[in-house]
Amino acid sequence: MSRADIEQLHSRESAPARAWFMGLAAWLVPGLGHLLQGRWVRGLLLGGAVWLSFLGGLWMGGHLFTVGGNEQGLSALLQLPPMIANLGSGILYIISWVFGVGFADDPAHAARATYEYGNTFLLVAGLLNYLAMLDAFDISAGRKE
Amino acid sequence: MRHFLVMTAFAVMAAVVFGTVAKDTPRARLTYGLKVFVEFMAIGLVLSWILYFLPF
Repeated sequence: MSRADIEQLHSRESAPARAWFMGLAAWLVPGLGHLLQGRWVRGLLLGGAVWLSFLGGLWMGGHLFTVGGNEQGLSALLQLPPMIANLGSGILYIISWVFGVGFADDPAHAARATYEYGNTFLLVAGLLNYLAMLDAFDISAGRKE
Repeated sequence: MRHFLVMTAFAVMAAVVFGTVAKDTPRARLTYGLKVFVEFMAIGLVLSWILYFLPF
């Protein structure tokens, strides 16, 4: 392996601080990580899909998960995986948490016909944004075009 | 009808993200995105018919 190959390999393995910043930006505001790198179409597509999914989920009456509600023991632990998925939406989740939107846990709310659809959209919004975040990170680190 | 629209919206958003992050060229992204969309829709419809006939 030549010296140039080793240097290239090293630069691929250690991601620059900028890549971490882009990843963080992409998580915090869906689409921002790509927009900051001048990937307008990509940013609008990814951000648009995540924003639409999240807002659609709230509109359909979906429920956002959090640990530390009324549940105790194992039941509280079961809230953790969906909360991690929801947390992927970044600032959308944080704003909802601050204003208490989507965290209501009453039977009337859950009786809505679109409640489960809303839940799924909210969960998937976060998971899709994790993919977008990794994409922004990889682009900034030079691992992807 | 509402269920179908929601399923379509879900498939569109998932296909957009999968297509955008998974491939390198615009053509490959479009092809892959369409493939993912069709797969989501087809599997959703097949599963819905299977569940329709289940008695529980």
